[in-house]
This record gives sequence, C-alpha cells and structure tokens, in this order.
Amino acid sequence: MDPRERKYSNGEITVYWKPRECIHSSVCYMNLLEVFNPRKRPWVNMSGASTRKIIDVVNQCPTEALTWKWNDEEKNKTVTEADTNHIKFKRPHDFEKKEEDSILEVEQDEPLKIRVMKNGPYIVEGSYVLTRADGSEINMMGMSSFCRCGNSNSMPFCDGNHRKTGFKE
Amino acid sequence: MATNERKDITEITVFSNGPLKVSGNFKLTGSNLKLIETGNEIYLCRCGGSANKPFCDGTHKKIGINDKNV
Ligand code: FES
Ligand code: FES
Repeated sequence: MDPRERKYSNGEITVYWKPRECIHSSVCYMNLLEVFNPRKRPWVNMSGASTRKIIDVVNQCPTEALTWKWNDEEKNKTVTEADTNHIKFKRPHDFEKKEEDSILEVEQDEPLKIRVMKNGPYIVEGSYVLTRADGSEINMMGMSSFCRCGNSNSMPFCDGNHRKTGFKE
Repeated sequence: MATNERKDITEITVFSNGPLKVSGNFKLTGSNLKLIETGNEIYLCRCGGSANKPFCDGTHKKIGINDKNV
C-alpha cells in the first residue's frame, strides 16, 4: 500500500484518496473547491459541502484516485453502478488486492499501456512521443488521459466533459 | 532528453479532427484490463461516434470533434 493514501470522513461517507492514481485532471477542485483544495492541508475538507455534492464530484474523477463509500456497511450493499459514475464501482479494498495488475507499474521497455475507460477517456501510461494536431512533438512520460468522447475543451486530453455530455460506451 | 534510448519508441499522433494513431510497442486494454490488442499500429476513435469503438471507423468526418481550441 502507498503510505501517501488518505481517507477522509464526515461521519456519513468516507472518501479515499490514492495519489498514485491521480492524473491531475482538476475535475475535483474545479467543481468543489470548498471540499477539494490542493493548496490546503488536509486538502480534503469534508465539512465543505453536503454528502450528496461530495459524492457527485468524487464520481467525476476520471480515474480511481478518489473513491467513496458509506460508513454504514449496510448501505454499501445496495450501491450499484448507477449510484456511482465510477468506471466500475470498486471498494478501496478491492483494488488494493489487485495492485499487481495496476497500469501504474511501468518497467523499462514495457509496452505503452492504453486503457479504454468505460464511458470515459483513454488512460495512457508509459513513455512515448506525442505529436499534437499542430505537428508539435512532446516526449511524454507517466500517466495522462486522452479524450475519446469528442467534447473535451482541452484536446487531446480529457477534461472531464464526458460526464456532462453523458458519453456512454 | 531521453536517457534510456529504446529501439522501439511508441508514438501517439493526434490527427486534427480525426483519430489518435498509436504506433510501436503498446498494449491496449479495456477498463477491466482485459487485453484488446498489442502493437503495431492502430487508430483510436477520438470523436465518440465510431460504431467500432475503440477504433476509428471514419464517423468523425460526419460528426466532427471539438478541436477548435487546440
Ligand atoms: S473523454 Fe473525457 S472529456 Fe472526452
Ligand atoms: S475519430 Fe474516427 S470515428 Fe471517431
């Protein structure tokens, strides 16, 4: 487990933060700075908004850097994919086990990893040369997400707009 | 500067109002990490409209892509 992982609770829900999954899409703080403020410590303030609002924004995280669950285990049993916009609803302990599958572990000479996210972007990880539409070339390294819905305002990258336009695939 | 020169550099090329071309050494998976395809060259839909997702099928020509502020 990554020692930088954090959890935050307001008594009703707990929000989990996995910094290694964070691709800095800025969706969380652009939508709810009262709760997600990267300049503050702790950066998550669970009393900054209602539970409903926090859930909505956590669901917009393009990766699983932010996830949530009810503190009342009974309520978690009834959570379905419809309650979360998450690509695939996973409780934090579910993906801790699958760490070895993580697309984050890049080794040298490993193929570039491209993951097609359900209803969301392509998540690309590794090192590669990116040629943008204007012909400029950049050496890329690490993790980024490319828009696949056609509606991002920061092409070619995903800016979270696929949520607003309801891209389904 | 690239410190570790690799013989097979993977490239992603963004086509204006068109798909992403990926060439070289790559591994394409679904969100469940199930393998869809590995290298050499593919064209990935970027317009959201392909009937053969994740691949481009030419639909972008009909529906366009929000590429104005690139
Ligand atoms: S896929 Fe996220 S904005 Fe298009
Ligand atoms: S980019 Fe060609 S069909 Fe979508």
